[in-house]
Amino acid sequence: LFPGVRQAQWLTKTKLVEGLPPAVQGIMDNPAHGLQELEERAKHAVSHARLWDTAEVAPRREQYCPVLFENLIHICRLMSGKYPSLSKRMLARNCRIAATWERESILLQVRGLSGILMNSMTPIPPVASNEEILATKEHVLETFYPIAPTIDLQEVNVYKELNDTGQCFGDGYPYSHPHTLFFLESANVRTNRFRPEQLRAKMLMFAFGNALAKAKALHGNDPKVLEQPVVVQSVGTDGQLFQFMVFQLNTTDLVSNDGVKNLVWIDSDQNLYEKAQCVPEVKKRVVTKPAGIYGFQPDTFKKFLALYLHGTV
Amino acid sequence: MAALGARRLLRPGRRWFSETVPGAPSPPASPLYPPVVASITAKSKAAKSRRLQRFNQRVHAAATVEEKLRLYGKLQRPKYMVYPQTFALNADRWYRSFTKTVLVPGMPPRAAAAKPPVAAAGTTPEAGRAPVPRAEAPEPAEAPEAAKTPEPAAGAAPYLDMGELRSLACDALLQESFYQNKKRPFLYRDQDHTPGPFLTQLVSTLAAFLSGRNPLLAASSLDLNPEVNYYWHHGEEVVAHGHRKGRVDPVRFQIDDNPHLQIRVPKQLPEVVPLESDLGDVPVVDHKPSKLPLFKKQYENKVFIGSKVADPCCYGHTQFHLLPDKLKRERFIRERLEDQIEVVYRSNGIASLFAWTAAQAMYQGFWSEADVTRPFVSQAVVTDGKYFAFFCYQLNTLALTAETIKNNPRKNICWGTDSKPLYDVVEDGNVKGFNDEVLLQLVRFLLNRPKEL
Repeated sequence: LFPGVRQAQWLTKTKLVEGLPPAVQGIMDNPAHGLQELEERAKHAVSHARLWDTAEVAPRREQYCPVLFENLIHICRLMSGKYPSLSKRMLARNCRIAATWERESILLQVRGLSGILMNSMTPIPPVASNEEILATKEHVLETFYPIAPTIDLQEVNVYKELNDTGQCFGDGYPYSHPHTLFFLESANVRTNRFRPEQLRAKMLMFAFGNALAKAKALHGNDPKVLEQPVVVQSVGTDGQLFQFMVFQLNTTDLVSNDGVKNLVWIDSDQNLYEKAQCVPEVKKRVVTKPAGIYGFQPDTFKKFLALYLHGTV
Repeated sequence: MAALGARRLLRPGRRWFSETVPGAPSPPASPLYPPVVASITAKSKAAKSRRLQRFNQRVHAAATVEEKLRLYGKLQRPKYMVYPQTFALNADRWYRSFTKTVLVPGMPPRAAAAKPPVAAAGTTPEAGRAPVPRAEAPEPAEAPEAAKTPEPAAGAAPYLDMGELRSLACDALLQESFYQNKKRPFLYRDQDHTPGPFLTQLVSTLAAFLSGRNPLLAASSLDLNPEVNYYWHHGEEVVAHGHRKGRVDPVRFQIDDNPHLQIRVPKQLPEVVPLESDLGDVPVVDHKPSKLPLFKKQYENKVFIGSKVADPCCYGHTQFHLLPDKLKRERFIRERLEDQIEVVYRSNGIASLFAWTAAQAMYQGFWSEADVTRPFVSQAVVTDGKYFAFFCYQLNTLALTAETIKNNPRKNICWGTDSKPLYDVVEDGNVKGFNDEVLLQLVRFLLNRPKEL
C-alpha cells in the first residue's frame, strides 16, 4: 500500500488528531508506574540491540531492528510483575489479516501479513468520549478531487469477500481482542523500507482492518454506528524512528461520507536515540567520540510503554 | 672473569693489607649478567617452552578483556568443530571427556527455604475464570480446556499459583498449535512451525509472570536465537601431514552454538557445590576425536556469550534449546537406537552449557592459565517441543590444556534429567495429559537466583 495518511483517512472514514489521546498521556505522566527507573533499562536495551548483540563490529538493520523490538517488549512484559493482569496478553507473529468494506460504492479490501499482533483478553476501553464521537459528524473528509481516492491501490477481482476475525484465529480463542499491532521496517536497503508517511498509512489501514473485522465479529455484518467503539493501537518503527497510533472504530457504516467518523490519534517521527556509535571515532590518534548511544530520548520509550499498558491500568 | 677479579684483589692484598678488609667482595646490587635462558627463535623444545611462556605472559598482562580474548584466539589452526546437537552415537561420553565433566543424574539438591510453596490444586471446581472472557466471544464457547483447573480461592502471595501457570502454558501451546491459522510447515522444518514459537511464547510469558518473585529476572535480558561460541585446547596429538608434520600440537576444539532462547542476568547464580568437590569420574576415551565423527576446519576462534563484553548482563541464567527435525525421536526409534535418544539431550546440554559457562568465565578474565576462582553456574532446558530435559552445569575449571590439566584435581559437574513429556496430545482445543512436574521444574529453573536477592 502506498497511499499517504490523508488518502488512508478518506478510505477508512477517519478523522485525524495529532498527538496521543489523553488516556495514554495520563499513563505516561503517572509517576506511580515507575517509568523513570526503566530509562536505564531502556538505554541498555538499545545499546544491546545496536552495539553488543553480535560478534561482528556492527549489526545490520535486519538484525538490530527485531532485537530492539524484542528487548523493548521484554521490558514492558516484565511490568507484569507489578500488574498481574498484563499476563493476559499474547503475541502472535506472522498473522494474516483480511477485511472488506464498501466505501461510496467502491469495494475495498485489506489483506496481507500484518506484522506482529498483540492480543489481549480484555478490550481497550474507548479513548474518546461520546461527545467527541458525535462531534465528528461535522467533520468533512477531505477529498482529493480530481484524483480518485483509490489511486495506487491494486485492483483485484475478488471472488470471496473474506472477513476473517482479522487475526485468522479459530473459535473460542481466549485472547480475542486485538490490542496492538507492531510493524518493523527492517530491510537493510533503504528503498525496501517504507518511508515514515507510508508506514503511518500502512499502520492505519491495518489497524482499521483489524478493528473492522473484530467489530463485524462482535456485532454482525450490518453497517451501523457502534455503541462500544473498538480501539486498536499500532506502533511502527525502523529501529530508530517510532510512529505511534491509536485508532478508534466508531462506525461500520462506511458507504456514505457523512455521519459519525472514526478517530485516529497519531504521534509521528519519535526518535528513540540520535546516533549509535559502534566504533569509537578517532581523529589524529585521539578518541573524539567513544562508542555508545547518543541522544537517547526516554519519552519515546515512555510512550511505547504507555501504549503497552493501556487497557490494563 | 670472576676469577681474574678475585686474583686482582688478592695480589694488592699483600701490599695494602693494613687498609682493606679481606673478605668476599660485597654482593653486587644487580646481577652482572643477564639470566641464562633458552633462546626464543631456536628450533628446540626449550625455545618452544620459552615462546609459550612469553605468550602466556602477554595474555596475563593484557589490559582489557577484549584484548585478552583477541590474543587468546589469535593463532588460527585446524580445529575440531564440536556440535552440541549431534546424531553421533554415545556423543555425550566423548563430550564429557573433552570438557572434563562429570554427569550426575537428577537435579542438584537445593535449599528448601528458597522454594516458594506451591498451592495445591483446588478441589472444588470453580468456574470463576472461564466464563468471563468467553462472554465476549461471539461463537458459542468450546468446552473449556480440560486441563485448566480452577485457581485456589485464597490467592496467598507466597504461594505459587499452579493453575495460573498451567493456563499460561496451555494457552501458549494452544495458540501455536491450534488457534492460529498457519500454512503447512515447510519440508523438514516442523520445528520452526509449532514448537519454536510455542517455546518462545511460553518462556517469555512465564518469565514475565515470575519476574515479580525473582528480582533477577526483572533485570534480565532475553535473547532470541543468539550465538554462543567457545574455543579451547585439550590434550595433545602429533600433526599427521603437512609442512608441520611430526610436531606435537594441542588438540583444538570450537563450539558454535545457537540456542533458541537464552536469559542473561547481571548477577551470577550461586554455586551448587563447593569448587573442589568430586562427584564422579570423567570418562576417558582412548581414540582420536575424529573417530566420533568430528571434523576439522580452520576459521576464526570466537569466544562469545551472546553479547559483547560491555554488556552489564554478562552472566548466564538459562538457555533453551530446540532439537531440530533431524534428531526427532521417531527417527531414532525407526533405526532401533532408542538408547541414543537420551544421549542427544545430554550431549546438547553438556556441550552448550560448557561453552556458555566457559565463555562467561573468559569474559571475567579467567582462562586456562588463570583458572576460575569461583564456580560459574548456568542452566539449560533441551526440548523438542513435547519432551523436556533439564540440565544444570557448574564450571569449576578452565584448565584443560595438556600442561595445566596435570595437577588439576577439579572437575566440571553437570546435573541432568531424562526427557519427560509436558503433555500427551493436543486435540480440539484441549491439552490432554498435562504434566505438572515438568512445568514445576521449569518454574524452579526460572526462579533460581543468588541468595542475597
